[in-house]
Formats: sequence, C-alpha cells, structure tokens
Amino acid sequence: MSRTTAYLVTIAMIAMLATAPLWVAEFTITLLNYIGIYALVVLGVVLLTGVGGLTSFGQAAFVGIGAYATAWLTTAQGASPWLGLVFALVVTGAVAALLGAVTLRLGGHFLPLGTIAWGLAIYFLFGNIEGLGRHNGMADVPPIYIGSVSLEPNSAIYYLIWVMLALAMLLVANLLQSREGRAIRSLRGGAVMVESLGINVFRVRLITFVVAALLAAVSGWLYAHMSRFVSPTPFDVRMGIQYLFMAILGGSGQILGAVVGAALLTVLTNALQDILPRFSANGEQLQAIVFAVIYVLALQFARGGVMPFVLQFVPRRRKPPAASGEPLPRRQMPEAGRPLLTVHGLLKRFGGLEAVSRVGFEVAAGEIVGLIGPNGAGKSTVFNLITGVLRSDDGTVNFLGADITNANQRRIARAGVARTFQHVKLRSSMSLIDNVLLGAYPRTRAGFVRGALRLDLAEEARARAEAQHQLDRVGLGTEAYDLAGNLPLGRQRILEVARALAADPALIIFDEPAAGLSRPEKAALAELLRGLRKEGVTVLLVEHDVEFVMGLVDRIVVMDFGSKLMEGPPASVRADPRVQEAYLGSVV
Amino acid sequence: MTPLLEIRDLHVAYGKVEAVRGVALKMLPGQIVTVIGPNGAGKTTLLAAAAGLLPWRGTVSYDGVDLRRFDTEERVERGFCLVPERRELFGDMPVADNLLLGAYVRRRNGSDVKQSLQQVYDRFPRLAERRRQKAHTLSGGERQMLALGRALMARPRLLLLDEPSLGLAPLIVREIFRIIASLRDSGVSILLVEQNARAALEMADYGYVLEMGEITHQGPAAALACDPRVVATYLGGSS
Repeated sequence: MSRTTAYLVTIAMIAMLATAPLWVAEFTITLLNYIGIYALVVLGVVLLTGVGGLTSFGQAAFVGIGAYATAWLTTAQGASPWLGLVFALVVTGAVAALLGAVTLRLGGHFLPLGTIAWGLAIYFLFGNIEGLGRHNGMADVPPIYIGSVSLEPNSAIYYLIWVMLALAMLLVANLLQSREGRAIRSLRGGAVMVESLGINVFRVRLITFVVAALLAAVSGWLYAHMSRFVSPTPFDVRMGIQYLFMAILGGSGQILGAVVGAALLTVLTNALQDILPRFSANGEQLQAIVFAVIYVLALQFARGGVMPFVLQFVPRRRKPPAASGEPLPRRQMPEAGRPLLTVHGLLKRFGGLEAVSRVGFEVAAGEIVGLIGPNGAGKSTVFNLITGVLRSDDGTVNFLGADITNANQRRIARAGVARTFQHVKLRSSMSLIDNVLLGAYPRTRAGFVRGALRLDLAEEARARAEAQHQLDRVGLGTEAYDLAGNLPLGRQRILEVARALAADPALIIFDEPAAGLSRPEKAALAELLRGLRKEGVTVLLVEHDVEFVMGLVDRIVVMDFGSKLMEGPPASVRADPRVQEAYLGSVV
Repeated sequence: MTPLLEIRDLHVAYGKVEAVRGVALKMLPGQIVTVIGPNGAGKTTLLAAAAGLLPWRGTVSYDGVDLRRFDTEERVERGFCLVPERRELFGDMPVADNLLLGAYVRRRNGSDVKQSLQQVYDRFPRLAERRRQKAHTLSGGERQMLALGRALMARPRLLLLDEPSLGLAPLIVREIFRIIASLRDSGVSILLVEQNARAALEMADYGYVLEMGEITHQGPAAALACDPRVVATYLGGSS
C-alpha cells in the first residue's frame, strides 16, 4: 500500500465515522458508543500494560469510580455533568495515586494480584454504600448538555465519545514520543539500567498508572451520562479482565490497537448474544465458555494481536533527520588533576564470601584509569558499588567532594557519573536514537503534560540533535532509526557508550567496552576515549584486552581475589611479576 | 570422508535485510574451523541459522543428512550444540542444575549423566567449587565456563562456539583455548566464531573470513594467518 492510499483509507474511515449517525441503524450507533467508551479504558491499558509492562486487572474499578463520582454529584447534589467530569477525574486520580503508591512497588506477579484485590474491593464497596444505592445502583443520571444542545440521543453523545477518544489517542501518542514517554517505554526489562540514567522508575510508573486511571474515569463519566444509570455490575473484575484482553487482542503497545481490540470484542459479544440462544437456553454460560476458548486460542496463536498484521500494509514513515537545534548546555568539567573519585576501604560481602575486601583508589579529573584483574576478582562489583547498584558493607565513595557512599543510583547518575554494563542493557525494541535519548533524560525537563501537548518540541529537537551527535561520534549515526536489538552484540556495547555520553557525565565507567569488537573497531573506540580525555571527561574502565588497555590508560589498578593487588602506570604494571602470575600469564 | 557439516548457498534474512548471502562452508570430523570477521558481518547469524534458531534458505547437511529434517531438540540429541554469544544461562538456578539441563536430552540415562557431570567438574574445578551458587552470581569467566560445560553435558559431536573468549581475562582466554584444543583431541569438532582472530587461526585447521554476509577469504588457517589482507585487517602488525 502506498502512502497516498494509506492517507485515502484513513480519510475515508474518518469520514465514515463522522457521518455514521446519518446512514447507519440506531443500534449500530449504540454499539459504536460502547466501542468508544471501552476503547478509552483500553487506551489506558495499552499505555500501562502494553507499553509500560505493568499488568492491571483493576481498570474496571476506575471506570466505576469515575461513573459513580459523576452520578453522585449530578443526582444527589444536582451539579452539572461537566462539573461531574472534573469531580470524576479528581476522585479517580486521587484513588489511583493512593493505590499506586501502595501497590506499584510490588514486582512480578504480585502487582497483578494486587490489582485484582483492590478491583474486587472497590466493586463490593459500590454495592454496599447506602448513598450510592447499594446493588440497585443510581438512576436518573442527567444527560450532558453542550450549551442548550442535549446529548441525550445516542447519535448525539456519539460525537462526544469519539471526539474525546480521538483527543485521548492524540495525547497518548504525543506522550509516547516525548521524554517521559521514552521513560515509560523503557520500564519493561528491569529497573537497574533505567535508574542508572537518573530516571525515577517509581515516579514514572506511578504517573503512568494515574494517567491510565484518568482515561478510565473519562470513560466512566461518558458511560454514566449515556446510560443514565449506574450499578456495580459493569465495574466488576471480570470486566477488568476483558479490558486487558481487548488490549492484547488489538495488539498490546499499539494505540490504534485499543480501538481495534475494543471493537472486535464488542462486536463479537454482540454476535454471540444473537447466535448462542438459538443453541441453548443457557446462552450466557455458553458465551463465557466460547470466550474462554477464544482467549486461549488468541493467546496461543496471535499473541501480538491484530495490529502487527494490519501494520504490514501501512507504509513505514521515515523519520525526518534529527533537527539541528542549539546544543544542550554542557556541564562545567572539573579542573584537570583535581581528585574526582575517591574510593576508600570498600567492602562487600555476598553471604560468607568477601567479593570486595577493603579496596581503595583515587581517580583524578581528566585521567583514564583501567581496572584489570582475573574474572571474578570483583571488578564489576566495585563498579556496582560506586554507581549505587549494590550497597557496600563498609567503606566510602567520594565524588567531586560529595559523599555518595550507598546513595541511590539516580542521585549518583545526576551527580555526573554515567556507566555501561558488562551484560549489555538496552531496550532492544526501541530505536538507537531513542536509547541514546534516554541517556539525555536528566539534561532535559519536559514532563508528562508538556509532552502530551507537544509543548516540548524545542527541547526535543535539541535533545535529538545531541543524541544524533553522539551516535555520529561512535559511528552509528546512519542507523539511528533502526531497532537496537538488531545490532550485533559488539555494536550494542558501542551504543551503550553513546547513551552514556548523552548524559554529559564528568566520569564515565565502562565495563568491558571493547569486548566483541574487531581490531579496527577497537582502534576507533580507543580514539574516541582519547578524544573524551581531551574534553576533560574522566574515564574508569574494566577491559581484558591488554593491548587496548596498555595503549590507552594513564594508570592501572589491578585487582585479584577481591583485593587491590597494586596500582601504577601501564609499564610498571606489565612488568610486575605478581600481575603476570595472576592475570597476564607469562607470555606478555 | 563425509563432511560433518556442509553448508551450501546459505541465505539468512531479517525481514528484507539479508545478513548472510550465499555462504558455503565445509568441515570434516575432528576439525576446528573458524569464522572471523568484523561486527555485523553475519557470524552470529550464521551460527544461529545453522542451529535452527532462525529461518534460512539453502542447504545445511549434518553428517550427510539434511538438517531440515531435525528440529532443534533432535539436533542436540545428535550431538549438534550451540554455545551462544550471550551465554543464555538460567540465572536463578544453581550451577549444577544449569549443567544437568545441558544433559536434558540424555535424561533417561542417569548414571551416565552423573559421570559426565563429574567430567565437567574435573575440567572446570571452578564450577565444582560453585556448584550450589546461582548462575547469575558468577563472574564473566565463570559464566563462559558454565556455558561451555553445559554444552559438553549433551555429549556433543559438533560444538558451535560463538565468541568463547568474550569478556575473559588473558589467563582464562588461554585456558579456554586450551580446553577447546583438548576437546578436539577427544574427537569433538568445533565451529569457532571469534573476535580474537590470532588465537582462533592459531588453533584452527581451516578458516573463513566473513564480511558483509559473504565469505571473502578462506583457506587452511596457517595460510590465512599469513595472508597480507587478513593480517592487515584482523591481526594487526605487532605480535
């Protein structure tokens, strides 16, 4: 399909939706209303679960809170539905923030279990509060008015529902392309790397969770004023499971998948309700069984959902080359020769084993220092202690005059320490440039609201220019929009180097940057590191390629069995018999 | 002699991008054959395709039989084992369980497996010391030993090694290469992908240079090590 055809198809679909009330049956409009209302919730699930990797079965409860909030305000208090919308958003947002603060620290399967727990609790709460009509619910919810136009007819509220859905999709799409959106996309696959970039994982999770709940609240508000009646049943955990399934069916992680999933499941339910009663008097039970079969089959054979299938036919939009904005402000590098990093008496035990025993060394600003030693000597552990991935049992780490011993990773990153990992930690389904942009996160400001409203364009252009510059610098510039996972392992390491550079650090800690590189690639890397030294950046690195290390570094610290064996300039380290025996072997 | 592994006109593509284009490669039983080349040349892809982890076009025959007839498990049963570049260990399992999983295809033969376990421990005393430790707590070198040890547990006839020296200290690199040589002496054939071209060519019988998905040079390893183009690009001046 060419780009023109794709545009024409899109325009035709929008035109069909816009004119639907003029030419389709009343019942179809009702169905479309439900699809739009469900899609709003599913959009939140796509963001939370599909993109952010946080599984929630409890979204139906948030729809309920939104619906009940507006129902109560507009019936018991006689307020306008528009005030009801504000109230629904505030109440749902507050409850989500509270529930999120409690449950989002849970990992693995505990989080989904937690969402089931409060999903059930809220449902039973609705059914047992006198003021909310107990299980009978609340009737006579007023319709929405825009000026003097009543949105009571299905064909009228239809427009409000789909305009709101379109708006929500646009905002979420913007958000995902922004600074915080990249942070959301990076949530899947472990927190260590994300925190090492100075990103507050818990904050990003919590805000994403609240955003998803707010989308559910809008859906609940529309639902309450469309059906003009609320009762606990539609907000049950079973509905929460359905929302999740709609997201999976549509294609988790795809914004348009929210609409596709909601539409598919709604139409299917409707069709089953027509067909099944012909076969059995227990149509409803039969429907549950048919759905169970469909769930299992879909999870077995189409885990990616419908969207990936559709996207095959859509032309890939080639991103424009990075805007050449003004460069991001750079940090003032510390004066060369001044002590930058001081490690003193560092101690780490794993069980009974002392992995690092009383190691101390100093790194001066503008130096390249190599840390070498046999495998298992504790080099990576020292790096993890310095950067806050692990907590030390004793000893101190001082950076630029500040005590950063056992500070959290984020604080250390923001103080100006960037790092790469021995076992590459990238987001393989994100593009190279997005991975590098994650590194620039602490140097930029735009938050969720600015990102969703695209008020961040100037800053984004600058950050993008910076990221492109770092990619060019390491020789990956022409592949900026490829997926990181498609790079061979050696180049993935180099991508980590670019990501570290994008943070504009004063100290970069490289864990085996040259592993898996061929000779010419190693030479290019060494050249790059020398260039960094000229810029005043300090480098601490672990590397096993002796030739590479000896030709590059100013000083070497040698570790063996968790202790420091010696330190000194490359020549004297190479000549030292202890080092030869423990590490180099005799033939050097 | 029938070649143990024979690859003809192999093509592997990721979507529209062909990472391996028309590669032919042959190895005899008991040989070490090495593939060297820059990053992104398609070396890992070549191994992964041969091991049945990626779809490919062309012919790959193992011991004279078309490899397409076997699924991955059957390949392992027939002694065709890959040691992947990323090691792919089971991080939350102890060292001993990682090793035993390597013998999964031989699980019906308990005492035999125990004997192999002891042989691996003899070969890698470090792993014996750490047998109860979880794999993710191991250092880089120990992980490589474990990955290699796990493959040996399947009693391989053909080992595909992807960058066995990656991230290892010089002493351990020499140790790993010594082990690879001793495996060959005990009859295991080895297809070796290695960035450390000098060491690889030193021990291999035959070598291929893979560039941009195509074989650009090949020959007996000793001859390749003297080929001026190979020396300039992959071996460097000093020794």
